[in-house]
Parts: sequence; structure tokens; C-alpha cells
Amino acid sequence: MKSITCYLFNSEFQTIYRVTFHFSHQALLPLANVSMIDYTLEFLTSTGVQETFVFCCWMASKIKEHLQKSKWCRPTSPNVVHVITSDLYRSLGDVLRDVDTKALVRSDFLLVYGDVVSNIDISQALQEHKQRRNMDKNVSVMTMIVKESPPGHKTRCEDDDIIIAMDGKSKRILHYQRAQALKRLHFPMNIFHSGSDEFEIRFDLLDCHISICSPQVAELFTDNFDYQTKNDFVRGLLVNEEILGNQIHMHVTKDGYGARVSNLLMYDTVSSDTIRRWVYPITPEANFADQEGQSCTHSRHNVYRETGVSLGHGSQMEENVLIGRNTMIGANCTISNTVIGANCVIGDNVTLDRAYIWNRVHIADDVKVKQSVICDNVEVKHRVVLNEQCVLAYNVVVGPDITLPEGTVLSMHHPDEEDDEDDDEFLSDDNDVGYRKDKTKQKGINGDTMFPGLVLNADPESDSESEVSEGSHDLGSHPASPELDDVKVFQNEVHGTLQRGLDENISCDNLVLEINSLKYAYNISLKEVMQILIRVVLEFPFHQQGAQISTAQYSSHLLPLLKKWAPVFKNYVKRPQDQLDCLASMEGVFLERETHWAALVKVLMSMYQLEILEEEGIMHWFNQGSTTDKSQQLRRNQGLLKFIQWLQEAEESSEGDE
Amino acid sequence: MELQAVLMAAGGGSRMMDLTYNTPKPLLPVGNRPLIWYPLNLLERVGFEEVIVITTKEVQKALSTDQRLKTDVKLRLDVVCIQEEADMGTADALRHIQQKIKTDILVVSCDLITDVALHEVVDLFRAHSATLSILMSKVHEFTETVPGQKGKKKAGEQRDFVGVDVTGKRLLFMANEADLDEGLVLRKSIMRKHPRMLIKTGLLDGHLYCLKRSVVDFLVHNKCVTSIRGELVPYLVRKQFSKSLNSQNATEDSEKNQKQQDAHHNLELLSTSKDEALLQLARERSCWNDHRGDMSEAYHGGKLRCYVHIMEEGMCYRVNTLAAYIEANRVVPKLFEDPPIHPAAVVSERSLVGSDSIIGPLCQISDKTSIKRSNVGTSTTIKEKVKITNSIIMNGVTIEEGCNIQGSVICNNAVIGRGADIKYCLVGSGQHVEPEAERTNEVIVGSDQLMEI
Repeated sequence: MKSITCYLFNSEFQTIYRVTFHFSHQALLPLANVSMIDYTLEFLTSTGVQETFVFCCWMASKIKEHLQKSKWCRPTSPNVVHVITSDLYRSLGDVLRDVDTKALVRSDFLLVYGDVVSNIDISQALQEHKQRRNMDKNVSVMTMIVKESPPGHKTRCEDDDIIIAMDGKSKRILHYQRAQALKRLHFPMNIFHSGSDEFEIRFDLLDCHISICSPQVAELFTDNFDYQTKNDFVRGLLVNEEILGNQIHMHVTKDGYGARVSNLLMYDTVSSDTIRRWVYPITPEANFADQEGQSCTHSRHNVYRETGVSLGHGSQMEENVLIGRNTMIGANCTISNTVIGANCVIGDNVTLDRAYIWNRVHIADDVKVKQSVICDNVEVKHRVVLNEQCVLAYNVVVGPDITLPEGTVLSMHHPDEEDDEDDDEFLSDDNDVGYRKDKTKQKGINGDTMFPGLVLNADPESDSESEVSEGSHDLGSHPASPELDDVKVFQNEVHGTLQRGLDENISCDNLVLEINSLKYAYNISLKEVMQILIRVVLEFPFHQQGAQISTAQYSSHLLPLLKKWAPVFKNYVKRPQDQLDCLASMEGVFLERETHWAALVKVLMSMYQLEILEEEGIMHWFNQGSTTDKSQQLRRNQGLLKFIQWLQEAEESSEGDE
Repeated sequence: MELQAVLMAAGGGSRMMDLTYNTPKPLLPVGNRPLIWYPLNLLERVGFEEVIVITTKEVQKALSTDQRLKTDVKLRLDVVCIQEEADMGTADALRHIQQKIKTDILVVSCDLITDVALHEVVDLFRAHSATLSILMSKVHEFTETVPGQKGKKKAGEQRDFVGVDVTGKRLLFMANEADLDEGLVLRKSIMRKHPRMLIKTGLLDGHLYCLKRSVVDFLVHNKCVTSIRGELVPYLVRKQFSKSLNSQNATEDSEKNQKQQDAHHNLELLSTSKDEALLQLARERSCWNDHRGDMSEAYHGGKLRCYVHIMEEGMCYRVNTLAAYIEANRVVPKLFEDPPIHPAAVVSERSLVGSDSIIGPLCQISDKTSIKRSNVGTSTTIKEKVKITNSIIMNGVTIEEGCNIQGSVICNNAVIGRGADIKYCLVGSGQHVEPEAERTNEVIVGSDQLMEI
């Protein structure tokens, strides 16, 4: 067999990975304690690939370093690995165009994403591909390898749902479409004019992202410079089939394992499948990466232990557990379906279920972790509870005594920052935990919107519902807008305007005018304008007098301001809904500053007296079911209760008058 | 009685008017038997004792007089006449006889000639407690030249797209190419339930349906449905996957709405009738499931199910075009063990009748005549030195001396003049072809018939 070449690169530059695992390339993330790239290379080698080109753009040096240390670069390796790096590899298209320019391939090659974990035997597919090529030269350019896995199968994730129409006999692909957001599937009629009388429409296939390509594929990418992804390529070929005459076929495999670790949901799935030995012969105890000290024992219920593991008295490893070398586990722990990396220290009475803990993690006593990922060097202090789908990124310190709600992502690295700077590594140790909690909290909220990966939707029909309910409780306090930048800048501008208004005694009409023009400049919705305005005004005393002022000082500063700017508020708070939004925003501000809750009543009273807020609005807000513990606590505040009572009486008496 | 058989024999044969303008389609001779005999025989073979025949007055008369039908068919025929002018569809006809229908029904069209093992269709119906099960077959290519047809006819007819699940039994989708201008559209929820759908074209619909009794009730309430194949079947196939069976046009007045709801109610009733509780229990207690993969209950909880039996082998023709008629005539005689030459026929010893031909009763075939690969009907007279190949001669035809007939269809009571040379022609009923005429690839019918078209 001629040399087959393969390309690995970080797939489509998924933001999730970039944000969360800032310090590592996706290909180097440990999956069952072995880097993902090793799984892919092992798969390629086992299929008989003799030469592999690894294309990478981002973090190339780390990948190179890893490969040089690995068995793939030893002289005995049956698979010669070349690493080719360039900053310009932004997509599959760029890579393949470069392949064409450099003329790296002359014969059929295998195209694989760098995050494929598989043990599929592709020899039959290769044979079929060759046969087709022999019969009709230059017609069939690609054979995609797909795995049969019906809807609901664990290795399927919604993002990768595809619908394929194919010719029943020749297995030629006639139509290929991502089906994620579609309710109805549409097939153009021309695909049924191919002369065949039997077609298959299949929704039970998982694209393993392993494709056997002929050299033309690279040429075609050069010819069509607008092809970026494989999806573009396949769609483009199918649409232009009549003109170009190129065909794509597929090979459906029933057994064998193939999945792409494209997000955290898949990370969870593939990790647990590896431990449950679905990817045999690639199993943890095989030590296929042939790294020293990686060898481990395999005992009943799929419990794997590397060397130097110590387990405290009364601790249980129930099933599907992999523990890395020199990891120490305290007493009375319960561990199931979990991977723990090397050199971790885990305290007493810890419960871990479906946890993926990487290297050098410290977990203190009485911690509970459910279905979460904990990256390198994280420290989890005692009595922390991680609910489902949490991620603690590198070097995070959490706790003690906090419970992270579902889907929280904690990272030392801000999502908005560019990822090429490494200096935020130093941020970590000097700051106190309280500050970090505050900072990370904000990120958790951002994470909600951009981090759907770990959420497994059991019932696909209710997708939209679950998403809404997840994000909603935070909406009041933080406008969840994708353009966080604009909102922030806007907030600063409003603050500046008001400050100036105060200094130069500008009339309220002009302030409104300025705020409105800012609103258009940053494309902010009216609702957000109001929320931000409230926030800015309420935080105004802190900015003026410093964050440490007492509640009394705070209110004495704030109330004159409210009075002064009442016309501005009135301009924005008109409808009942506006009042509710306004109140929600206030609630958000005060929730962040527990010490100043007493001032809330005064603010409300003042706003009520200034006729910015009406009693119905306040009552409605108060009676609204609150979602978080804290806001419930807020509502139980003595002063607030009195105020509400007073309001109620006032209302009744006013009704009585009429 | 599990199933009542209903034979639809009132169709006019509108796609082969040249043949049917004065012989009703059910009476067209195929292999020297009237067409209607074949579905009757099919039913009789599997043990039906009674059949409701929906037909016209004319056919009814023929049924009561035709000796051969009388002796051959042991079935008790319950003949229901409908008026020809009424232009009733098949669904209308079912509505017409609803009083007679007590159980589930098996509807057969009179132009079906098949050797299908009928229990295959019925078993699907029984096993899945289906609402509908139908028969389909792979289309046979017609090889014979068709008289009066210029060139090889292309597949001008629009194809039916039939979608079945991976077992090839469950009917998931049905549409005609003509209705798919915008492309084929499937709901994702269907694909989720049946992730692997085979779309087949090139299937022949046998127009044989097993229908639940309640479907007839549904028809009674929904007068707008006129045809089984055109409207009812596609409706049922679609309804399999609709969430609520109660969708109606908002525009219609409330009374009608009420009626429709009743009808829909009935449609749901169909599965909850008598044994349904037991069936449900059986399904709950059993580990059987109709699908794999997800863990949902059998049939995904759907109450309405349509199935199709697709014949991979065997013979299945629908005699609704001239080409099909000719093809059926070729193939059918091989099925019977009847002697090719009827004992009541008079065949001269000095004539040559090939073993691939059949000769009907009371025929007279004179000296020096040769007949190859042809069917000759009842009471036909063929004079001397006639050469007939690849042709169908119906009843009461007279062929004078020295004619040469090749690849043609000669209808009832036609007279072919002496020495005529006819190739690939269709000679209509009662037509006279003048002596010494030379005709090729023509349709010879009377002027009155032309007017009618």
C-alpha cells in the first residue's frame, strides 16, 4: 500500500476549547490519561498508515514537543510523523490547499480530524474505494466512513446530526446535510434522477470524520478557494456533480468504534466508552502510547490502577475507574465512572461520579463532584460541591464551602481576551479566594450561553425549553448579550455622561439626549439601556466615594442623585414591563452587595415617591417567584417587608377612598 | 369471518379506450378468460367463499350469463351495481356498500393478475394490527411492441416514490413525482423514529388493500374522499405520524367540524375497538419491539400503521394499458395447465398450431394455417393459409384466407378481409378490414369511437 497521509489540526477552532483549556491544545488533552493525539495516531498506525502529516496552527510547538517525546518519533515507529505548522491554517480548506501546493500526496490518502478516537477496520472501505477508482478513474474522489448509530446513541451529539441520501446499490452519496436545526428535511428532486430505483435516506449514521481521499481532493480545494470545511467540500461536490462529475461514496460500518471528541459532551462519552473497553484494543491498560510509568492494572468492574496509587481506608472504587500514577486517595471515598490523572491528592469522604480529573489536582475533604471536568493543577477546597456539567479550568482554586450550580465554568482566563498571552498565569496565586469567586461567578454566566457542550439533551423535542430555563434566572442581573464588549463600553460611557452631568450641572433633557445617542452608537436595546442606567446610578456612590462606604453614607449619597435624575428615569421607565425590568436590575445590583441591602428600601421608597415606580410594579416584583436562594433571602429582609406592608396598606386605603 | 372481500370492477379502462369502448374492462379476454376471473380466482384460491363485486349493469349481465365463469368460479358473488354515469371513485363505492361491511375488508381491483401469496399481505395486516396493508411489486419491463405506438415509449409516466423502513414492510412515505416539484420533504421526527428509510421507485401498485373496518366508517364521515389510491391511502400514510388526529380546516363551519371530529374520533377508535385493550396488554408484557436503538415502546406509541408487501419475485400485472394487456396475454397461459387447444375447437390437422398458442372453444381453424405465440378467442373462424404470429385474437373474429397477422390485437367480432397484411395494429371491435389491405402500426377503430374521444 502506498503511503497514506493524514492531517490533524484543531478542528474548526472551537471557541469552547479555546476558552476553557487555554493552556493546552485540544489534541493534547488527556482522555483516559492519554493525549487525544495518541489515540488518533494509534488508529492510523493500526490501519497501516506509514506516513502521517500533522498539520497544526495553534500551539504548534507544544504538539511538536509532545510528538518528539512520544513513540511516534522513535526510529522503530512504523508510522513516520511529520509536523507541518503555519499560522495560516485556519480551516481544512487552507490545509488541503497547502497540501496541493507542496504536492505532498500523489496517491490516495486518509483524512482524519485530530480528535478522532476509533478502532474501525477500514480495510474493506479501502478496497471498495480502490475498486471504484479502478473502474472509473477520477470519478469517485472520496469515501467517507460512517458508523451506524441510531438516534439516541451515546456517541451522537446533536451538533453532528447528519442526514444522508444515498443510492441504494452503489452507496453513492446523493445528498448530505447537517440536520441539527432543521425540522423538515428537504431533498431536491434532481438527486432522484440518477437512474437508480432505490434510494436510502439515512439518519442513523455518524460521520466518523475519517475519509479516504484521492489526490484530486486537494486539487479541488485549490480550485474552489471558497471551500473551508469538509462540509463545504461535500456539499459543493454534490451540487456540482453534473458539471464536475465527481462523486462521493460512503462506507457504513456496523461494528467498530468511531467518534470525534468535538465538545465536552463527547469528551464525557468517549472517555467513559474507552474505560468500558468499547475501543478495544485501545484500552487504558494496553499503554499503547508506550509511555513509561503509564502501565496500569485492569481488574474487575473495569477498575484500572497505575503504579503508586494509594487508597485510604474504607474508600471504594465501584466501577469504571481509572486512577493515574502516584495519586493518593483519602479514606471513605466513593469513586465511580471516573478518571483521575497522575499525582493528584484527594482527601477524605470525597464522592466522585463521572468526574474527569486531570493531573496534579488537589481535592480536599468532603467534596462532591458529579459529571464534571477538573483540569490540571486545580485546587478544590473542602466541602465544595460541583453539580453536573461543571468545568474547572487550569489552576483554578475553588472554595471552601461553596456549591457550584449546574453548568458552571470557572477559568482563570477571560473569554474575551486574546489567547496568545500567557501572563495571566501569574494572576492566580496572590489574589484572595473571595475575589476569585466574584470574578469566576461572572464567567459562569457567560459560560451558560457559550457552553452548551456538556448538556445532554435527553429529549431532543424539548431543546428550546431547557435552554431557556437554564439561562433565565441570570437574565435579570446580567444582560446576557453576546456583544459583551459593547455593553460594557456603553456602561462606562453612561457613567461618564452622568458624572459630567453632575460636574457641569447639565440638564436632564440633555442627559437623555446623550444617552440616546450612545444607545444608537453601541446598538443597545431600550431594555438594556434602562438596566444599565439603573446599575450605573446605583453604583455611582461606590465610584465616587470608594467601595468601602457604609450603608448610611451610601443612601445619603444616592438619594439626592435619584431625585436629581428622576426625569431621566421617567423617560425610560414607562410601561409596567419597564418597571419590572428596572426592579430586576436593582435586585441584581443589590444581590452583588449584600452589605447594603438596607439601602434597597430607601431606594425603593424614593423611587416610589418620585413616581418612577408604581406600587403595582413593586408588588408584582416582590411576589414574583424568585429563583435563587439569595434573592429569596433578599426578599425576607426586614426593612423590605415593612415597606411592602406599608405599600399594601396604602393601596388598600387608597382603594377605600374611592 | 375475518375479512370481507370487495372486488372493484366498475372501472371503465380509461387508459386503453381502444380496447374497452365496447367491451367493459372486466370482460376483456386475457388468455381466453375474462379479466375479472383472475382476481376472483385469486380470492378463491385462498379460501374466500363470498365476495362483494362492485360493477356495472353490463358486467353483471355478463357475469350471470358467462358459462365459463359460472362453472369455474365457486365463489358466491354478491353483485352490487352502480351507475356508470355517476362517476364514482373507489372510495365512493366503498361508501355505497357500507351496510354490507361488517369486518375488516380486502379490496381488490378487477385488473389485477398476480400469483402473489395473498397471506403475505394479510399477515402483515394481522401481525401489526395495521390500519392498512397493501401489495406492491417490482415493475416488469414490457418487451412486446405495442400496436399504434410510435417508437419505444419512454417512462413518461411519473414515478411513485414509496418510502419503507429498514424491514421493507412499514410504509412510511408515499408520493407521486408530480406532487414533488419542490423536492422531497420529510419531517425530522419521522427520521428519528425510522432512521433508515428506503425510497423505492419503480414499484407497481397492485391496488390490493387490507383495510380496517373503521376506515370505512371514516369514509362515511368524510364524503370528500373519493378514491382509495388517490386520497385515502396517502392520507393514512401521512396520518401515521401526525401527533393529533384532530386537525381540521378552520374555515369549515362548525357542523362540518363536528362531523370531521367524529370521523377522526372513529379513526382513533379503530385501534381501541374490542381487542385493543388485550393487545395493548400483550405488548406491554412482551419484550417484543418493532424497532431497535431507542428504548421507546413498540411503534413509538403510534396507533395507525400502514404496511406494504413488496413482491420481489413472481408475477404481478395490472391490466390497465394496452401494453400491459398484451404482456398479460403472453404470460398468463403459462400459468394454467389447461390444454392449449380447447376440446370444443375444430382445428384442421393440416394446420400448424404452436404449443405456445392457445385456442378457445368453438374455433374453426382451417388447413395450411399457422399460429404461433398467439391467443385465439372463442368462436373465431380462421380460414385457409392464414399466418398469425404474436397476436391476440378475441372472440367471434373472422379472418379470411391468406391473411398475415403479426403482433396485433384483433378485437371482438372484427372481420379481416382476404389477403390482408396486418402488422402491429389494433383492430377495434366489429371493424372490417378490407381485402388485400396492408396496414402497419395503426389503430383501426370506427369513426364513432373516434368521436367519443
